[in-house]
Amino acid sequence: MSGEHVIDVTGLTKRFGAFTAVDGVDFDVARGEIFGYLGANGAGKSTTIRMLCGLLAPSEGHATVAGADIARSPERVKRAIGYMSQRFSLYLDLSVEENLRFFAGAYGLSGARREARVGAALALANLSDRRTTVTRELPGGLRQRLALASALLHEPSIVFLDEPTAGVDPAARRDFWRVIRDLARGGTTVFVTTHHLDEAEYCARVGLMVDGRLVALDTPSGLKRTHVPGAMWAVECEAGPRAIRAALEDVEGVVEIEPFGRRAHVRVRGELEDSRRFEVLVAAHCNAGSLRGAHIEKVEATLEDVFLALVGDTRGGPT
Amino acid sequence: MSRRFLVRALAMAHKELMHILRDPQMLGFALLMPVMLILLFGFAVSFDVENLPLALVDQDRTPASRKLTEAFTASKTFEIVARLDEPSEAETLFRSGAARAALVIPAGFERASLHGPEAVAQLLVDGADNTTATVALGYANAVALSSSQQAIVRAVGSFAPPIDARVRTFFNPALRSAIFLVPGLMVMVLTMLAVMLTALTVAREYERGSMEQLFATPVGRVEIILGKLGPYFFIGQVQVLLVLTMGVGIFEVPVRGSLVAVFVLASVFLLAMLMQGLFISVMTRNQMLASQLAAISTFLPALLLSGFIFPIDSMPPPLKIIATILPPRYLVHGLRAILLRGVPLSEIVADIVPMFVFFAVLLVAATKRFKREVA
Repeated sequence: MSGEHVIDVTGLTKRFGAFTAVDGVDFDVARGEIFGYLGANGAGKSTTIRMLCGLLAPSEGHATVAGADIARSPERVKRAIGYMSQRFSLYLDLSVEENLRFFAGAYGLSGARREARVGAALALANLSDRRTTVTRELPGGLRQRLALASALLHEPSIVFLDEPTAGVDPAARRDFWRVIRDLARGGTTVFVTTHHLDEAEYCARVGLMVDGRLVALDTPSGLKRTHVPGAMWAVECEAGPRAIRAALEDVEGVVEIEPFGRRAHVRVRGELEDSRRFEVLVAAHCNAGSLRGAHIEKVEATLEDVFLALVGDTRGGPT
Repeated sequence: MSRRFLVRALAMAHKELMHILRDPQMLGFALLMPVMLILLFGFAVSFDVENLPLALVDQDRTPASRKLTEAFTASKTFEIVARLDEPSEAETLFRSGAARAALVIPAGFERASLHGPEAVAQLLVDGADNTTATVALGYANAVALSSSQQAIVRAVGSFAPPIDARVRTFFNPALRSAIFLVPGLMVMVLTMLAVMLTALTVAREYERGSMEQLFATPVGRVEIILGKLGPYFFIGQVQVLLVLTMGVGIFEVPVRGSLVAVFVLASVFLLAMLMQGLFISVMTRNQMLASQLAAISTFLPALLLSGFIFPIDSMPPPLKIIATILPPRYLVHGLRAILLRGVPLSEIVADIVPMFVFFAVLLVAATKRFKREVA
């Protein structure tokens, strides 16, 4: 970390009546960082973003964004940030260019600077040749690009993206993340919420929200080390994951067994982290007949494993 | 800072204009409605009673009875639709609605009118329609009075009544109700349309989620409100022009005062009503509710509390207070003053000020209620 925090959050809390949507959250974000905010629907991600954008007043706690206090000077916050809400919120009946011109004006840009920024936004969204297209006619992926470009019109130092890739096809999602990484390389801080766990891997650091509380915050590899320690083996056999669980559940050194499609992910600590030791263990069960034709492969822990380890698979987690 | 304010408010106004231009249906509606409504109401709403179906029961059949009949049918007020033998038959016609009044001249009418003691003719009126009945009664009394006078003149030679009231009607000598009603009608149409224009705009942005995006920009609440007011103000002016042209062209409403005065008066009125629409929109944040409130809060007040039909002076105090707050009565009063009486702008300041106050109060209230939070 460069040590320079552009977002600083202490004890941030938001209550709606008796319901606590965000409960005493603390974190900070460094300049140029891609900060991922992960959690199930209703975990408090959007509420956190709205508070940080000056759209909602916090019930308790403090936060500064780009040096401005979100509760005391939300207007200063708004000039410094770009915000892309979860719901597509550009005007569907206006053309691509009209939308960009309007938001440029809304940010107070005028004259040559407005023209230049609208041009840059068209280029960023890859929509220079479709500037007169009515926004309603754009496919989902391009709409998201347009919404992002519109949030960047005034060259904010921080952008907040709330579920920017919801409902976007995988190819468009990859393009979208390329833009986000380019932004961060250019020094823009990106605060992004998502429930795509694969996307979280692109983030420098990931915070995990569960029921309004920030339960974990680290780099993706740090999260895996802490919450999914040991080694992970994918085991596949004819009898299926249930048989694997039955056979290995009570073996010492086996921490966790999660069914994963036709395979089972078996997490182990200690001696069994060594591949030969583990092969011997499985081979013993093969001979006993319960794991006939077993196949073993080493797998890297994913953030999904982290999520399951933290939340437990009983809760409806992210997809 | 103020330059930024202007840039943002203009961006807002331009965007709003694009919305309007992209929606030809809405624009067509806004421009066709005033024409339709003025035509519809203009021809339907009239207090001039004409061609009342009259059943005649002439049992006398003498020159005197024919003369009385002629007196009744001389103007366009009554039209004889049936000639009956018995008064009882008239009731059947009343029930079916075929006749609204019946003139019964009993046998011996002429003899009585020449030799006394008194000639009695009877007018039966269908009281279910109160307006018509009142007019018919007034007309019958006038006919009876003038016939009596003529009879006295014939008998005595000359006659001068002790009091001779000579009434002269200013500004509307023929007492055509259209001249009185059409300016009020214009107000009613403009009230309904102006509030409807803006009532949906803010609610729509809340419902579509674009309000949240707007609030994340430095655009201020006043900038949003003024930006939205602008384009609709121009549409409203076109509506004023349409309504005025129709009133003058079709219903022969005179324009005795200056058009500049009409423009100033109508502009302040438009601001007030467009602001009422925006206020409703900000409060409800819901298009369905906003359109209902817009309709309720305009139609009845503009019809009942504007002085358009019912004089405000004779209303009970609570209604009087409401009528005094709402702008329609001031436009009704001001328009009649300028158009019919040719009053200059300086004399309708008393109508302009309350409308402006209404606008200013709602502007402040809407801005205050315009929460920047989107929960």
